[in-house]
Amino acid sequence: MASPSPLFGRRSGLLLALAVGVAGIVVLVLALRSQVEVPETRSAGTIDPPASSSSAPSPSADPSGEPSPTEQAAPAPLGPSEPVSIQIPSLDIDTSVFPIGLNPDGTLAVPQPGPREDLAAWFENSPSPGQPGPSIIEGHVDTASGPSVFFRLGQIRPGAAIEVERADGVRLLFRVDAVRDFKKASFPTKLVYGGKDLSEPTLRVITCSDFDETIRHHVGNTVVFAHLVKVRGR
Amino acid sequence: MHKAIRVLVPLAAAAMPLALAPSVASADDGSTYQATLNPLNNSNGSGMATITLNGNTADIQMSWSGLPAEFNGGPYPHVQHIHIGAQGSCPTPDADKNGDGIVDTVEGQPFYGEIGTTLSLKGDTSPAAGTNIKTAPGGDSLEYNRTIELSDATAASLREGTGVIVVHGLDPSTLSKKAQNAKSNLVPSLPLAATSPNLCGVLSAMPTGGVATGTGSTAGLENPGLLGLGAGLLGAGAAGTVLYGVKRRRATEVA
Repeated sequence: MASPSPLFGRRSGLLLALAVGVAGIVVLVLALRSQVEVPETRSAGTIDPPASSSSAPSPSADPSGEPSPTEQAAPAPLGPSEPVSIQIPSLDIDTSVFPIGLNPDGTLAVPQPGPREDLAAWFENSPSPGQPGPSIIEGHVDTASGPSVFFRLGQIRPGAAIEVERADGVRLLFRVDAVRDFKKASFPTKLVYGGKDLSEPTLRVITCSDFDETIRHHVGNTVVFAHLVKVRGR
Repeated sequence: MHKAIRVLVPLAAAAMPLALAPSVASADDGSTYQATLNPLNNSNGSGMATITLNGNTADIQMSWSGLPAEFNGGPYPHVQHIHIGAQGSCPTPDADKNGDGIVDTVEGQPFYGEIGTTLSLKGDTSPAAGTNIKTAPGGDSLEYNRTIELSDATAASLREGTGVIVVHGLDPSTLSKKAQNAKSNLVPSLPLAATSPNLCGVLSAMPTGGVATGTGSTAGLENPGLLGLGAGLLGAGAAGTVLYGVKRRRATEVA
């Protein structure tokens, strides 16, 4: 029997093995404590942003707002009324929505620590859902206390339903056209907050994506593009 | 050495402007503004506008619908402007000072100001074209895309957040009898309804850069790569522990 090396003796070998195992448990617990399925990987930059000249791969994935062939023409636009809740049944997301504005530096404000941190927020300078143009609803992917309201948003797929209820009691059904990841450093402001077609009522749902191991921050944004297909209680 | 420095210094100097460029600069050129066009005076209309401003050159995109379609048997003319130099807001119903049930264009001016630019279909875009119904859009809806030169005053107003888009022309049947019969206080040959505001939207800068909707507390666990790492580490730890036990038993046997 070879004498154990001073660095990798039996005891230290056991400690190393245990330490590695404990690290594994910590990471697993962190991953699973959200008691949700872990979304699939989405990496920014692998999908080209949808061109504003609408060169998207298929009509159903066209975020410029063309209704897919199977869907009827978009309902007539509505007047203003703030959104109060949003539901994404395929991801078990159901949350209330509050209005939010800009930070002093011109960036979009986000829900701050406190009772509303894990709620979704509607950008108050964007149209109300149902008005012409893109209505903007955002939410955290995670907060200091763990997974947040849009933790699973990156999993959403074209064709999925998103429902929004407004303060006037009108319920809107949107259909997802496309899901895109953009680097925050090259965020396509005009495409997301405006776009080529301002006449159709559309919805953009935004959260963070692309966690960068080296700087410990999310460097991308997931943007879900959806268009209005149904109005109830008008 | 010296040669390398001679080459590198200009290169570094050339790189400086890139390094100093604001980090919020996106793929877009210029500043972009957006306005949600909300109804005034019980209008059923709704719309949106975006303006991309490079210097004084404005690329204007606007869409609205739900406005009155006809007037005197023809398309209803809807004069539209960027109003400037006031509060940068849209009037509330209590701005109706004469009690005729509508906020007319003059009553709204303390909120959105005077005409800075006329959003005509063609030709003159100055305030002088403000009530020219020949170059104004007509009908119940509009898709507008025009690149024009703004006056210095209008461009400055946009940048300070006091630019307001106002689209005029109300359906007379929705007005009180008094307002229906009144003449415009701007163009006396027209009824009050024709020049009164229908849609109003404050132009505000679009958000800059990306959206800070993550803290990294879950360390990217919306990415399953780390979950795999955790399972891998756990497996390695377990294997190591078992291996240690086996080795130790063997050692005991030998000893």
